[in-house]
Amino acid sequence: MSASIVLASECPPNDPGFCAPSVLEFFPKPLATFDLFGVHFAITRITVILWIATAVMVWFFIAATRNMQLVPGKRQYFAESGYSIIRDGVAREVIGTEGLRFAPYLASLFFFIVINNIMGIIPFAQIPPTGRFAFPVVLATITYVLFNWVGIRQQGVGPYFKNNLFPAGVPKPLYLLVTPIEFASTFVFRPFTLSVRLFANMLAGHLLLAIFAAGTVYLFTVGNFSVIFAPVSFAMSVVMTFFELLVQVLQAYVFVVLTSAYIAGAMEEAH
Amino acid sequence: MSGADEGWAVVGTLFAGVVVWGGIGWLIDLWLDTTFVKAIGVLVGLATAIYLVVVKYGKAG
Repeated sequence: MSASIVLASECPPNDPGFCAPSVLEFFPKPLATFDLFGVHFAITRITVILWIATAVMVWFFIAATRNMQLVPGKRQYFAESGYSIIRDGVAREVIGTEGLRFAPYLASLFFFIVINNIMGIIPFAQIPPTGRFAFPVVLATITYVLFNWVGIRQQGVGPYFKNNLFPAGVPKPLYLLVTPIEFASTFVFRPFTLSVRLFANMLAGHLLLAIFAAGTVYLFTVGNFSVIFAPVSFAMSVVMTFFELLVQVLQAYVFVVLTSAYIAGAMEEAH
Repeated sequence: MSGADEGWAVVGTLFAGVVVWGGIGWLIDLWLDTTFVKAIGVLVGLATAIYLVVVKYGKAG
């Protein structure tokens, strides 16, 4: 399906006009394809970037913590303070002391997302794998299963759904209006908004950078007075790169904070 | 930082109110071949969502 979309909307050849980068950036040619249990897999450069980024992150944390010292070296210090931002700054802050047992999941989630986001501005990679909808969807699904599982275990099936669908302090007849909203916002929109927020930010950020970069090259090479605007486009691509770095870290953080807020909500007893 | 999660929850509730009751109104419109029920649905959903936000998050402190 995606192959035909790619062919249908690419810029026509020999067109002297500006060929703007589009979402097709996220549909590169597969490097390899194979079928496993009837599922068709395509390995693209985005997949490879995800593997490399994740491998680098895993290697970094293993290397930094294999030979731990009481007085940490540079690498151990960096890994420890990174972990502690999530453990103390998110898990303890949002969920409470009970939340410390979720710190390993939250930290893995944060560093997986942040390194894959940052791939959007690393030279030669320059595309964030999290801009492919499938990756945020998988992460949001894990979070969804986790917070529901925690809620059911902590409160029991009945009370968990009762607390979520029938909030205290609402007169009985109003549940007719309130319960559908509570159901939708907790069990339907949460995983959806969680994944779309990350995906859309990464997709839009990448296109923004790609357009200013491609625009710079085009304005330089088009061969008329447009060349005077090229430095503006170049300056914007530099400014936007720093802006994207901010967005990439922030979105990973927001994803983790919301995950812990959902866990905290599921653990809370009715008041 | 502690306010951010609550902020998202409020936004989610308001959004869900409009979408759920607007959607139900839209379905009723399809069913009865009318056009005004979806507008009522959106308003009912928004009002209920605001009420829900006040009940759940409106407690001082």
